[in-house]
Amino acid sequence: MEELFKYIPFLIPIAVIQLALLASAVVHILRHNSFRFGNRLMWLIICVAVNIIGPVLYFVIGKGDD
Amino acid sequence: MIRQFQALSKKEFYESAATFRLYILLAVFLLFGMLSPLIAKATPDLLAAIDTGMVIEMPEPTALDSWTQFFKNVAQMGMIILVILYSGIMSNEFSKGTLVNLLTKGLSRSVVILAKFVAASIVWLASYLICLGTCWAYTIYFWGSVEISNAFLTFAAPWLFGEILIALLMLGGTIFSNVYGSLFTCFAAVVVLNAISLIPKASRYNPASLAGGTLALIAGAGEPSQFIPAMVVGAVLAAGLVVATIEVFKRKRV
Repeated sequence: MEELFKYIPFLIPIAVIQLALLASAVVHILRHNSFRFGNRLMWLIICVAVNIIGPVLYFVIGKGDD
Repeated sequence: MIRQFQALSKKEFYESAATFRLYILLAVFLLFGMLSPLIAKATPDLLAAIDTGMVIEMPEPTALDSWTQFFKNVAQMGMIILVILYSGIMSNEFSKGTLVNLLTKGLSRSVVILAKFVAASIVWLASYLICLGTCWAYTIYFWGSVEISNAFLTFAAPWLFGEILIALLMLGGTIFSNVYGSLFTCFAAVVVLNAISLIPKASRYNPASLAGGTLALIAGAGEPSQFIPAMVVGAVLAAGLVVATIEVFKRKRV
């Protein structure tokens, strides 16, 4: 446990970023219906399952232009 | 001219916010700023936690390890993300035809390129400063204040390399009118620059050494004067690429 406390100053901000990315990506997926490839379910799974990289991938290559 | 420039760069900022480019870049670089000291700090603990039966002697991590990670992350992953996010900087305008109306109403073509370049540079600078600031703060938190010699030169170099990449993306996008043209130009130029650095005499003037090479300065090895020629060449190259982009764009049918 003591080992873990050393990393608290990192863990909290990283968790905040991850949750913010996840929330914005999920909201965006649910409100838009155009994807460059794949479908809504696929992107939802990617965003939820892959921390940080999933939402970033969605915004970079998955989001369709509208 | 000035008003056109202001209006267009404002439009660029709104665009990067609307396409989430701005937020992604800021978030990713904030993460890199945190991850670099974290990886440096946690590596011995991680290795200890994996019980392989082997005894791996790890020296106590230092602030230098944290900066090594910083340069690695920014110079590799950071640049790749910058390039991917900005790969559509010119081609989106061509494919959607959004510039046609503005240009026929008399918007200067050089203003278009300059505004795009400056807006992208400011976003890149902001992301880079956030990354640097976070890494700096955590490094001081864990290892106490560390004297960094030639800090400005050391940290300005990767930023300058990013500027070259943005200029390359714009030139490629203007010539080929699509995303792949941008990416290809950028990739080809990086390959060429890295090939040049194989020649020992040329490597001193090679902007490729800007991406991660100045790390040696923090470690106390290497002279700052070693990197100044590369910095000058890099700055001239970035400016030259922007001018070339303007010239190509002036001759282009939109």
